[in-house]
Amino acid sequence: MSLEPLAPGRLSGRRKRLLLILLQVAIGLLVLGVIALLLTNLQVNLLRRGLGLSFDWLGEPARFPLSRGLLPYRTEDSYAWAFVVGLVNSLQVVVVGLVLATILGVVGGAANFSSNWLLRQLASLYVAVARNVPPLLHLLFWYFVVFLGLPAARSGVGAVAGLLRLPVSVEFVALLIGLTVYTGAYISEVVRGGINSVPRGQWEAARSLGFGEGRTLRLIILPQALRAILPGLNSQYINLAKNSTLAIAVGYSDLFSIVNTTFNQTGRSIEAFALLVLVFVAVDLLISGVMNILNRLVLRHG
Amino acid sequence: MLAKSFKRFAIAPLLVALASCATAPEEKVSLLEQVKSRGELKCGISGGLPGFSSLTPQGAYTGLDVDICRAVAAAALGDADNVAYTPLTAAQRFTALSSGEIDLLSRNTTQTLSRDAGGGNGLTFAPVVFYDGQGVLVRRDSGVTTLEDLAGETFCSKAGTTTERNLNDVMQARGIPFEPLNFDQDQDRNQAYTEGRCAAMTADRSSLNSARSGFAAPDDHMILDEVLSKEPLAPATADGDARWGDAVRWVVYGLMAAEELGITQSNIDARVAAATDGEEQENAALRRFLGIEGDLGSKLGLPNDFVVQAVGAVGNYGEIYDRHLGPDTPTFIPRGLNASFTEGGLHYAPPFN
Amino acid sequence: MAESPRSGPRSRQLLLRIRRGLFASPLDTVITVVLAVLCGGGLWSFLHWVFLQADWAVVVENIRLYIHGRLPVDQVWRSWSWLGLLGTLCLVTLMPAGMLPRPVLRLLPLLWILILPIGLLLLASGLGLEPVKSRFWGGLQLSLLLTLGTILMALPLGILLALARRSSLPLLRWLTTGYIEITRGMPLIAVLFFGQLMIPLFLPEGWTLNRVLRAVLSLGFFVAAYMAEDVRGGLQAIPRTQLEAARSLGLSPLQTIILVELPQALRTALPSLANQCVASLQSTSLLAYLGLIELLGISRSILGNPDYLGRHLEVYIWLALLYWLVCILMTSLARRVERSLNVTGHH
Repeated sequence: MSLEPLAPGRLSGRRKRLLLILLQVAIGLLVLGVIALLLTNLQVNLLRRGLGLSFDWLGEPARFPLSRGLLPYRTEDSYAWAFVVGLVNSLQVVVVGLVLATILGVVGGAANFSSNWLLRQLASLYVAVARNVPPLLHLLFWYFVVFLGLPAARSGVGAVAGLLRLPVSVEFVALLIGLTVYTGAYISEVVRGGINSVPRGQWEAARSLGFGEGRTLRLIILPQALRAILPGLNSQYINLAKNSTLAIAVGYSDLFSIVNTTFNQTGRSIEAFALLVLVFVAVDLLISGVMNILNRLVLRHG
Repeated sequence: MLAKSFKRFAIAPLLVALASCATAPEEKVSLLEQVKSRGELKCGISGGLPGFSSLTPQGAYTGLDVDICRAVAAAALGDADNVAYTPLTAAQRFTALSSGEIDLLSRNTTQTLSRDAGGGNGLTFAPVVFYDGQGVLVRRDSGVTTLEDLAGETFCSKAGTTTERNLNDVMQARGIPFEPLNFDQDQDRNQAYTEGRCAAMTADRSSLNSARSGFAAPDDHMILDEVLSKEPLAPATADGDARWGDAVRWVVYGLMAAEELGITQSNIDARVAAATDGEEQENAALRRFLGIEGDLGSKLGLPNDFVVQAVGAVGNYGEIYDRHLGPDTPTFIPRGLNASFTEGGLHYAPPFN
Repeated sequence: MAESPRSGPRSRQLLLRIRRGLFASPLDTVITVVLAVLCGGGLWSFLHWVFLQADWAVVVENIRLYIHGRLPVDQVWRSWSWLGLLGTLCLVTLMPAGMLPRPVLRLLPLLWILILPIGLLLLASGLGLEPVKSRFWGGLQLSLLLTLGTILMALPLGILLALARRSSLPLLRWLTTGYIEITRGMPLIAVLFFGQLMIPLFLPEGWTLNRVLRAVLSLGFFVAAYMAEDVRGGLQAIPRTQLEAARSLGLSPLQTIILVELPQALRTALPSLANQCVASLQSTSLLAYLGLIELLGISRSILGNPDYLGRHLEVYIWLALLYWLVCILMTSLARRVERSLNVTGHH
């Protein structure tokens, strides 16, 4: 909105500017006042419990055991290290999930444009079902029904993990698949929208050049659609990172579940929560940063 | 003019927020007085632990933990039904107490130094109502009889409780490797165990017992003889309110003393009558205990006959125990340490003087 | 193409279309056959399970719990009447605009705003009825209450945030930008955790907010940040000429916002706002892990009952169906609103 005087003569420019500054000061003071009041309440409440705000406990031994992960962890290690272990566990799911969900999403999105009727129907069925069921329900289904309910699925995971010599647990795989299937449906909508944004003429031109369906998509349509797809992908990636905290439902030791355990054992809810928020804002910034670089590359070369 | 629009948009809600926060904290009134003036006790329970607190098909809560709430409500308010129950997860329980969402936490909570101390969770514990110990549940057909047999196996436990740490301490001391698998909720842990995701499940023996009672074939599972830790479960109140803490403490002691004195829900009226002007009217200690003489109750801020109210409503400790954990229940646990000291147990009430 | 007189043009075309749609090339034929076999097999075993293996007792016997939670039996009619009102409102909204008299059409938005207070009145207190404590609320009814409450709180708040983020006051802009970006960066479960466990720590001593209210507050503040961005997108799409036109008509800034900018921005943002509403419904399921017995929470307690051991698949499929139905209903309501706005927009 612009602020040029609308009814000339009712307020002089200088008085108006002064008024606006005063208004901002008032808003600032109000916000500060509310924050101060909340913090005072917090202080009173914490003092009543004999707690002050402090981060000293981060150096103390965590003493709770964790499932084996990528990083070595012993129970004598500090809370700070336990958080790092949790963060790496989270990142593991997020990074692998990003890749798998992107593949699933691109395949699902592109399938909407196949000349094969059955494939098109299946693609839209997948999106309609997966998107309209809460992500938590996805995870519960994969963990409790598929992986715990079917011993074959469980031993399959064990065999693959042994083969790859990776600490891959059933919990990790269930979380990964659940997140992939849910996010994949959203990504496939993003991809579909992106492909739709490419003019129909491009398809026809490619066909007249004798390109097959698959090659047209891969070589001509997708590179052009990328420009419209990337911004949408960014927010889906961030959503996937955030949804990885649902690990709490399937017993996977991600960052949030370790923070949750720490709440309980130290009573340091505020400090642990502040750390969690910081880490997540950092992860989101990281994802957005990488996607921005990608975006710029695409804009330059695309 | 723009300013005006923003004043309306932004400042009004802020002002409301400010005004609502601005009221200075009033003079500290003990929770006991708050409960009495409210006419209702807000009690935090587990809600999903048969024998301690669980839902009946009619939608009411029942169990040992629940009866402690009822006893306190009867003593303070004269009506055991004036209790608002809040089912809490393990993670929620301490904040719920310190924020005042509940007055009393009666949720199988282990008394430990750091939970008691001001530098930890800052609770005040009432007397222990159940002496428990951490145990390990395994499948009977697995042939496991000791912890050593479980070397390298996965243990399901609950995150954020004392059990995961105790297990770790014991296993480490004995040099037994194991894989932990922690769940946020009892139900998920139980299911992971019954579906065979872990070879053993560890929790307080009472919880294992009640979890097992809900399995399809409870007898296929057994609790190992080894006890990993001491788990004295006690009701708790928030620190810094000695008056309320004292009242709760002595209601619980009252339930134990009543058992010791043979006072039950069914004979309490007769005993009161006998002590008032019957054969027991010379028994000054009993008269004080029942509030016929002296002012023990009012010293606590409770009616003098608070024990009569509590026992009349829920029975003495032994009766509560038998009702929920006795031999006739599906959640039977032998009394063992939980007998009165006169029977070789640990429950011992200080004198009502 | 010459058509034989016997097979009519229609069936011929159908055959052609099937051929083009399913068996255009050898690769297509392979894909079709593989997919058909997989789908057929999947569908067959699913139907086999649904009709022969599944034990639906866990759903049928607990239907009251799924819908109303732990509401005392003699109070269930209150929940039913609210759900009935809500359902009627949905039906009326979905009816073609032509079938409704204009006054009803005008009243619809107001009715949608009123349905939440009506629900609270019916369930919580008032009307001379005995109040039902919020801890007895549960099931689908609680999920819907939470969703409606969240939307009714998040939408106005989101609009205010969007306007403030575009304001010419730098401080206001920074504050709202910071709020929106940080909130959008946080995992929902952490926000709900904050709402359930930590809000009490920031309240003056002796103050409490009940859990359902705390849940709505935290969900509302969370969703508002997302809605703010959708509305901002809508605001940005308004051509500058519109604003200049408004100014030349002598509208004040406030009038411009209310009469010119917002209606257009909201119309543009409607599809994404509708997505946020659907997301709000899905988000309420997380509260099952924070002690509320909404639809997922009550289902988990039912699964904990020894009588229904191991009936997860039945329950999860039933839940998926319920959530799916409500999500679809919400989406079609949004489409309906969108269409009617487009119609009125052309006047």
